[in-house]
Amino acid sequence: MALLDKFASTLSIREKLGAAGQDPTSVVIDELISPTEGMVRGRYTILAGTNNYLGLTFDPACVAAGKKAIDELGTGTTGSRMANGSFAAHTALERDLADFFQLPYGMVFSTGYAANLGMLSALVKPGDTVLLDADCHASLYDGCQMSGANLFRFRHNDLSSLEKRLQRLGDEAKNCLLITEGMYSVLGDTAPLAGIVELKNRYGALLLVDEAHSLGVYGENGCGVAEAEGVSGEVDFLVGTFSKSLGAMGGFCVSPHPELELIRYVSRPFIFTASSSPSIIASTREALRQLRARPELRETLWRNANRLYQGLEALGLPLGPQVSPVVAVRLSRDQEPLSRWNRLLNAGVYTNLMIPPASPDGFSYFRCSVSAAHTEEQLEKIISAFASL
Amino acid sequence: MNTRFDEIENRIKDLLASYLESSGLPELEQHGAISGNTNLVSDFTLDSFQVMEFLMEMEESFDIMIDMNNLSNAHTVNELAKVVDALLEK
Repeated sequence: MALLDKFASTLSIREKLGAAGQDPTSVVIDELISPTEGMVRGRYTILAGTNNYLGLTFDPACVAAGKKAIDELGTGTTGSRMANGSFAAHTALERDLADFFQLPYGMVFSTGYAANLGMLSALVKPGDTVLLDADCHASLYDGCQMSGANLFRFRHNDLSSLEKRLQRLGDEAKNCLLITEGMYSVLGDTAPLAGIVELKNRYGALLLVDEAHSLGVYGENGCGVAEAEGVSGEVDFLVGTFSKSLGAMGGFCVSPHPELELIRYVSRPFIFTASSSPSIIASTREALRQLRARPELRETLWRNANRLYQGLEALGLPLGPQVSPVVAVRLSRDQEPLSRWNRLLNAGVYTNLMIPPASPDGFSYFRCSVSAAHTEEQLEKIISAFASL
Repeated sequence: MNTRFDEIENRIKDLLASYLESSGLPELEQHGAISGNTNLVSDFTLDSFQVMEFLMEMEESFDIMIDMNNLSNAHTVNELAKVVDALLEK
């Protein structure tokens, strides 16, 4: 097979994705009106698939912080932190994050994907063992693959499946890294972190939790599911992103282990990537301040999540297992997903379409992510659009 | 004579048949009997999620743990049987 022939199957998939009208993987938002409204193909559209949980992308203080940083520090850093130096704001953000999570060490990466790749490829090596929740994000799988460690999966959120594997490992369990997420991104369900922490302590393993979707969403202070479950001090490595609740772009890890400071020297995705631009760092720092100072944002988010979940549930639609800011509507196997998703878009509602194998259980889903910035009227329009399907 | 390897391979065939049936995948009748050369992806168009699900079924049936980084050359029933055989040998 010639080098480029492999793309024939991709072309065929792309043609199928676009056959019903708009290809859901190629939506262009021509104009943004607010964190939850835009213009798509000339039509006013409510954005219900942004992961903009706190709605901070247009927050005046965050926007002003980003503009000021551009004025004072320029548009980019033009290099990696190891080779070209860090800006003071990079290290300040690392201190902000450590302070927020009440942990001694913090490290910033250029994207959430790079954070997982950078942490895992440095933390575990060939000969080490990883036990990973089967529904974990691709970035966690890719990081494990890059590390060359032995990689075993346990059934999603299944403590007995995890313990069975820890038992099988015997003494090797002490040299094992467990990986879960806080809130899972497709169905919005959360990990039983208290139980996972109990197992990791009993077997002497280490635990990495990806709180990408749960930062700013769960916990008394918005630190995530580990905080909500009362085990935040027990997580060895907590990773997350700036591209959801914090409305920017980037990733991070915080940890009680001083070895996090040494990961800077061995993590290739950290060493060989340009550092985040000043405006991103500045708006992220401000968004973190907003998250801490305005718990009402989280209250509004949850009120909106409850309204959408209950509204769609009242229509008799099969939803994800628990109320959360990710509301996933499951399609039956005989419901064609692409044409239905196009009908939603044409009704002025943009959701994320998850189809196998990207969905976790073989079903297709319309994934809605709720924002604190959604108005009651917008939520009613989303529910009405689903009712008209 | 039935060797241990044959037994492993036959068990994987049975597991695959019941996985296809329980998943509502229609390909089994069209494909006919599952053989050692049956390729999970090209013969049954299993997607990556379904392959992962099936591997989990295999792990539970044989009471083993399959290293996800060790499967790049295991596409057919026969190749999977070799992986299982090696794990049971340990």
